[in-house]
Amino acid sequence: MRGLDEFSVITGNRRAVGLLLWAAAFVAMTGVNVMGQGFGPGGPPQSPKAGAPSDLTGYWVSVVVEDWRYRMLPPTKVKPPAPGIFGGGIGVPVNPQALKVALAWDPDKDEAAGEQCKSYGATNLMRVPGRLHITWQDDQTLKIETDAGTQTRLFHFGPTQDGGGDWQGVSHADWEALEGLQVPGLGRLSGIGSEKTGSLKVVTTKLKPGYLRKNGIPYSDKAVLTEYYDVVTEPDGATYLLITSTVEDPVYLMAPYQTTTHFRKQSDGSGWSPSRCTSR
Amino acid sequence: MKKITSAVAFAAVVMLSHPAFGQGFGFGAPISANTGIDISGTWSYGGEQDADYGTAAGSVGDYGGIPLNEAGRLYALAWDASRMTVRQQQCAGYGIPYAYFSPGNFRFWEERDPHTQQLVAIHMWFQTSEVRRTIWMDGRPHPPAWAPHTFAGFSTGTWDKNVLTITTTHLKRAWLRGNGVPYSDEATVVEKLVRHGDRITVFTVTKDPVFLDEPYSKTMINLRNIKDPTAWLYACEDGEEIVGRREDKVPNRLFGKNPYMREWADKNGVPLLATLGGGITTHPEFAAKLKDAGAAEAEAMKEIVPKPGPEQTSRAVNPDPNDADIHVWKVQGNVYLLIGDGGNIAVQVGDQGAFVVDSGAGKLSDKVIAAISKLGKNPIQFVVNTSFHPDHTGGNAALGNAGQDPSLPGSFFGGQAPTGATGFFQNPGHHATLIAQNNVLVRMEAAKLPNDMIPPDTYLENRRRKYHNGELVEIFYQPNAITDGDSIVQFRRSDVIATGDIYDTTRYPFIDLKSGGTVQGEISALNSILNKTGYEHDEDGGTLIIPGHGRISDEYDVAEYRDMIAIIRDRVQSMMDAGATVEQVKAARPTADYDTRFGATSGPWTTDMFVEAIYNSLKQSASAQAARN
Repeated sequence: MRGLDEFSVITGNRRAVGLLLWAAAFVAMTGVNVMGQGFGPGGPPQSPKAGAPSDLTGYWVSVVVEDWRYRMLPPTKVKPPAPGIFGGGIGVPVNPQALKVALAWDPDKDEAAGEQCKSYGATNLMRVPGRLHITWQDDQTLKIETDAGTQTRLFHFGPTQDGGGDWQGVSHADWEALEGLQVPGLGRLSGIGSEKTGSLKVVTTKLKPGYLRKNGIPYSDKAVLTEYYDVVTEPDGATYLLITSTVEDPVYLMAPYQTTTHFRKQSDGSGWSPSRCTSR
Repeated sequence: MKKITSAVAFAAVVMLSHPAFGQGFGFGAPISANTGIDISGTWSYGGEQDADYGTAAGSVGDYGGIPLNEAGRLYALAWDASRMTVRQQQCAGYGIPYAYFSPGNFRFWEERDPHTQQLVAIHMWFQTSEVRRTIWMDGRPHPPAWAPHTFAGFSTGTWDKNVLTITTTHLKRAWLRGNGVPYSDEATVVEKLVRHGDRITVFTVTKDPVFLDEPYSKTMINLRNIKDPTAWLYACEDGEEIVGRREDKVPNRLFGKNPYMREWADKNGVPLLATLGGGITTHPEFAAKLKDAGAAEAEAMKEIVPKPGPEQTSRAVNPDPNDADIHVWKVQGNVYLLIGDGGNIAVQVGDQGAFVVDSGAGKLSDKVIAAISKLGKNPIQFVVNTSFHPDHTGGNAALGNAGQDPSLPGSFFGGQAPTGATGFFQNPGHHATLIAQNNVLVRMEAAKLPNDMIPPDTYLENRRRKYHNGELVEIFYQPNAITDGDSIVQFRRSDVIATGDIYDTTRYPFIDLKSGGTVQGEISALNSILNKTGYEHDEDGGTLIIPGHGRISDEYDVAEYRDMIAIIRDRVQSMMDAGATVEQVKAARPTADYDTRFGATSGPWTTDMFVEAIYNSLKQSASAQAARN
């Protein structure tokens, strides 16, 4: 606040300056709401849908590049050695308990138990090759449907009655913002204001235990999935959806498991082909 | 009152600078202005994803998820890991985007104008292979097509909210994966860097008309280092890894005969087709193609050798602007490139007259002379011809007559010429001196070209040398390469070599068999160039090369060209050893992995002509050897 004091000294009229700066702060805070979920300039509160800084809706198709062998090829059982920060070569920072579970992976058993969707839970669903159909279910809820496994994820921007406990758990969403108002000459003032970046942040909990990969690498019901959704456009007009994910699981992971996945936007629903979960 | 007015103005700026009032208003503009999010600091690859592919890893025959076209796939399958023992490959830098996969650290830092604090550039340093990179943020254009290429390329950037978009051109031929999967020097890369707290999501889209059938898009994570990791260097010195290997031997695998092609597929229990890459392997539907093992195997067998059918033509941009104008580019030191009149022209300037290598096709000689006159205060003194071909000698008369050689008047030549002498002796020193290897003179006289086009000052063997404009200029004879009269010219202090058509970035070498050219002579000439070059840093920079046609290059580019010719020669020789006729060799497409970069199906130098030249050159060589025995 030293800067404010100095400015007051310069003007010689603290009361007038104070009023003006508070006015500025008020307007700035109003602006926060313009950018966030609150009030527009003189208007009603904007819904997450109406105030969306980027458009995620439409049909998207996987571009299967990252971890290609684990996603595109039929799953094979994890081979020890394994535990370690780099997953002993399997690319997932599993702990010994997780390795034990993975080594016991039996897709036939999963199918017999009707558990063939274990690798279609939220932690891995976006990695499954296929297509997404993203729509607004209502002003507060973004819906992602997948043709692979015929799954649905709901991203709630506000409170929800959803109790979770299924493959997709409960997802809370918010448009990412840089907290704090940027005031020229004074830096960023924490506690007042924010600026949207265009990214959607989604935190998912209350998951039914399943697989991080099709070959039985497990996650538990304690897992927390944090995702960022970004839409970028290439100079040639091609539009991509980037998903940056982190899974933290105190039961099975030694460190956060971080991945990135991307999709290319389609002009329509061509290729949309709903299919059942498979364990292989 | 005046002070109150100032306060009002301050408050107004605060208010107006906030996003509620739009974006980009002066210094209060937030993350959408050209400064964007600050990414300065040190970062490392978040290596869990694609952990198998960090640095020079990846198995031979593991190309799934990479949209290789036929040329790219065949290039990778012909790659032999021993290629890394070739001197120019040992310390080659990592290109963009491959550098992001380095297991080492990298750093961003900003460069700002000290007076305005506007962002000028974001600099990057990758630890592994010490990639130095500048991302220009000041709106400058990319260089012209004839400018040099580097492993990091030329990058410009813009911010949009929290996304930094970087566009990179002028890349060298480098790796998409360290198992021989290439991208070409025609590739462009667009990166999106999105910062989320202490991580950056990097999204790269590589477009390459030469080796890819779709854009290669890929994401990865970089994690912020809280503490400086201190490891920033990557010491590399090249050396003789295979002692006694002939200079013209380049390790490679013949098409369809790579013994390790199935190794990765077998190890992972998947069909070979799954491993061969192609845009289709990135599509969700690809998995279904693998279910019929027999069909997948049959398809794979078609993919590992050149497909029968029409040859492919180059998809590279021709660096020659073809706009009826002459373009000047400073190469380095005292040497410039003049491009636009057919063959490239090299010009060295200084206190003495201009020293010119080749005179172009002669269609724009007036503009060439005007451009040279702007580079130095003295007229053209010497013109060296690298061969007798008309795209390098066409401007001889015009450039010669526009110049003068002040070393001649008052010398023996000036004082001793008999009365009534003609040609060179008629008026020595009143035009530039034309120099070439003697066979150039012989061939131009045989073609009955005008006297003032024919270089009278010739040499026979080894080299000519002159100390001119403050540096040693050496002219080296390269026997039986493109023709029997080829020269290269080395500017020692400027550290530039003009190669003539021995090195040409626009086409396969124009081996003119009927004028004495041979494939072995061509490879030897390229090795002769490489024995005179050095690099500044990890096969970038150092000695710069002016080719007969095309863009400015360095030793790595020349080595790639040498490797290509040696590899194609080996394929042709192998087929000849098996008794193939020239037509059978052409039909087998031994150039299939290079045609999208250098091939032609029409014009003065087609791929078929090149293959025929190699075939006949090898046949002549074998006949000569048999005669000697």
